Amino acid sequence: MNAHDTSFHGRMDDGIEPGKALLHVDNISLSFGGVKAITDVSFDVLKGEVRAIIGPNGAGKTSMLNVINGFYHPQEGSITFRGEKRAKMKPYQAASSGISRTFQNVALFHGMSTLDNIMAGRTLKMNKNFFWQMWRYGPALQEEIEHRKVVEEIIEFLEIETIRKEPVGTLPYGLQKRVELGRALAAEPDLLLLDEPMAGMNLEEKEDMSRFIIEVNQQYGTTIALIEHDMGVVMDLADRVMVLDYGKKIGDGLPEEVQANQDVIDAYLGVSH
Amino acid sequence: MSEADTASNNGQPNTFVDYLVLNASRFAERPAFRHKDHGIWKTWTWAQAFDEIRSYSIGLQELGIKPGDKIAIVGQNRPRLYWTFCAAQAIGAIPVPVYADSVAEEMSFVLQHAEIVAAVCQNQEQVDKVDSVRGELKTLKHILYDEPRGVRDYDMKNLHAITEIQEMGRKVTASKGDDAWRKGFASHKGADIAVMLYTSGTTGRPKGVMLSFDNLIKSSMAANKFDNLNEFDEIIAYLPLAWVGDHVFSYTQSYVAGYCVCCPENPETAEHDRLEIAPTYFFAPPRVFETMLTNINVRMEDAGNFKQKMFSYFMQHAKKVGEPILNGESVGLMDKLKYKLGEFFVYAPLKNRMGMSNMKVGYTAGEAIGPEIFSFYRSLGLNLKQLYGQTEACVYVSGQPDGEIRADTVGAPFPGVEIKIADSGEVLYRSPGVFVGYYKNDKATKETKTKDGWVYTGDAGFIDGEGHLRIIDRAKDVGKLKDGSLFAPKYIENKLKFFSNIKEVVAFGDGRDKCCAFLNIDLTSVGNWAERNNVSYASYQELTQHPEVIKMMGEHVDQVNQDLASEELMSGSQISRFLVLHKELDPDDGEMTRTLKVRRNFITERYGDLIEALYDGSEEKFIETEVVFEDGRKGAISATVSIQDAQLYAPTHAMKEAAE
Repeated sequence: MNAHDTSFHGRMDDGIEPGKALLHVDNISLSFGGVKAITDVSFDVLKGEVRAIIGPNGAGKTSMLNVINGFYHPQEGSITFRGEKRAKMKPYQAASSGISRTFQNVALFHGMSTLDNIMAGRTLKMNKNFFWQMWRYGPALQEEIEHRKVVEEIIEFLEIETIRKEPVGTLPYGLQKRVELGRALAAEPDLLLLDEPMAGMNLEEKEDMSRFIIEVNQQYGTTIALIEHDMGVVMDLADRVMVLDYGKKIGDGLPEEVQANQDVIDAYLGVSH
Repeated sequence: MSEADTASNNGQPNTFVDYLVLNASRFAERPAFRHKDHGIWKTWTWAQAFDEIRSYSIGLQELGIKPGDKIAIVGQNRPRLYWTFCAAQAIGAIPVPVYADSVAEEMSFVLQHAEIVAAVCQNQEQVDKVDSVRGELKTLKHILYDEPRGVRDYDMKNLHAITEIQEMGRKVTASKGDDAWRKGFASHKGADIAVMLYTSGTTGRPKGVMLSFDNLIKSSMAANKFDNLNEFDEIIAYLPLAWVGDHVFSYTQSYVAGYCVCCPENPETAEHDRLEIAPTYFFAPPRVFETMLTNINVRMEDAGNFKQKMFSYFMQHAKKVGEPILNGESVGLMDKLKYKLGEFFVYAPLKNRMGMSNMKVGYTAGEAIGPEIFSFYRSLGLNLKQLYGQTEACVYVSGQPDGEIRADTVGAPFPGVEIKIADSGEVLYRSPGVFVGYYKNDKATKETKTKDGWVYTGDAGFIDGEGHLRIIDRAKDVGKLKDGSLFAPKYIENKLKFFSNIKEVVAFGDGRDKCCAFLNIDLTSVGNWAERNNVSYASYQELTQHPEVIKMMGEHVDQVNQDLASEELMSGSQISRFLVLHKELDPDDGEMTRTLKVRRNFITERYGDLIEALYDGSEEKFIETEVVFEDGRKGAISATVSIQDAQLYAPTHAMKEAAE
């Protein structure tokens, strides 16, 4: 991003060609007791694309993200990430393998500053042991300085210099969302999962956020899967769109195709029975 | 420093590059520039700055920049942009700073008029802007940029990073040395044109004011002496580069005195960055001081009971004795002790919060400052003063010497400046800082500057009993109501603007039977008031038309009318009707200049319907207004604006005012 940038690359290098599948989701089914949240859904995310998942409330979109991210474990089906079929894994394993996410309801540390929150996103990349970390001295301090540089790049990227030291709890919602994106970026993910990044934002905030999403995608080549309700945003941002309804996939394709799909229109507007 | 040995022409620096060479030897290890980048302050010493500027300058030469070429500087306060001034001047080129926030077409006029050969841009935004009008710029050959973000992938011809240019320069220095470069500027004379500053133009097109090295150096020397500035001072550079004030404070005076110029991270963080730097010399237009005071008041309203009480108790005391103490008058022992206590509990923390703990002297100029705001800062022990200046004078016309400070004057003539008042009431001055002329505009030069060097300021004013200059208004704006009483719009506007709830005012009345006004609310202050009083609103527009807000504005107008009634000259121009505008006046819409002064004629045209409504007695009026976004797109907002009557008072100027 800058001439003096030596450490922040935006994402890990995964050795997968752009345009090839980064993530395969095959025949996933997920249920909670008798409730079938997701039924037999398959799709893929290609490297370097912006993939949107849309659908009415309760369609299973967030569950889908939770599955990808290792938080839920599907009863059936498999997930292949970077060419490797994934065993049951914990979210932190998913995170260290290059998947990071933001949440529908902002999940930041409210009492901590913007800087510290984004710094928290670097935790997985810190190697010095607990002893040094505890004293914040010697190698741990050196390491923290290195990571601080990366965090500052992100702060500049997201244009949040003014709120660097503010506790995030006091910030407006739109800015909190931006900080959350910053924290997810700090892990330099291959796959960035965004759960309703524009929810509850005003027009200007939405435009800003869209710009950042596009920039992340283009500048760092980060692959993005996002859930969003704002159709205007989805149609503008996404390369491909998948539509869920009652846990089933009812559409998949280019934004214009999905827009013209009768099933999708029915799911959103409802049909008379 | 071996580089500095060859020094200047016979020891007396003629140009700023001479000063650079001198500073690199006399203040080699003192800080010259600081810049907050990625959250950390970076510092360049004078020796380092010399090295950077030399390589930059030689690089420009390599690029093909010739003596006399004009180089535009477009952007916010960044060390590399400041270096451009000196780097260009060293090879005989003339820097032309441009307002960074002007839209492309405004900028295009200046770039064309100045015949720009190269444009140095801060970032992608400015590069895009210059590139979008490139077709109209016949002379433009090169675009340079400072921040590579987003620009890196551009496939544009003749686009260079400043660092690349410096690299070119370094190579030359490494292989051939810098003798040729030094020889180049050894012959530069003080009478050469140093810089061209385009005035923001309250009327008509901007004019390019040509200032010589002599103009700037002499003014800077006088100013540094006046306020005792030296290499140990620090200032924060946050005002537009194209404005003469910034050019003189952050460039010329700094080179002459050797003090350090600190560039904030970006305009939004400037206030916070100032807190970290705590400058010793600080300049701000009244607006900045107003905003700061408003913010303090807003925060105090939200503070706990104990803090509020403590604040108001000690502020009361500061009001009583603060200014006398600052002026060196004698004060009772108890009062002194209490002031010390206040300093500990309130004043010092407050000054620290504003980043003024180390302030040696501060200036405000450009507009009149509210007497209460002015004395608020002075009562805290801050040596805030007023000055009166112009681009054509390298800023300094008059200023307040220490100990002779009053809110209603702009001070005595600066050392070396003569002031006289024309029969028409217009202020004229003559000084070593008087400009050479307007670029390619001899007609305007002749109209402004007389043969023997007097310059018409365009301001009406008078010299008061103590030899201080007082400014009433723009000479051409001073008019008369139909009944013959004096109408000085700015005078009335300022009185209203001193209320923290009012941001901007435009008064009308010249040639009419009564005086009326447009008001702009101050969103910070009124917004906070709304929050505290459970007044809900969805937009700026809705808030402006809220009955409670209009009532509040009415109270302010009423107060001003009472005030005006007590003044002999002004009692006739009390405000009889007013309205609260549905949109904020904005330079992007052409309603204000880039230095945020109201463009009266433009507003008269644009809001003709509203003015009509003020005078025809209607109670409300529908209006649709076009707005321009920063990227040049256009939109429209419409509103029904309510119009209010205000009470007028009989003249009561028998009181103390007569003494004036």
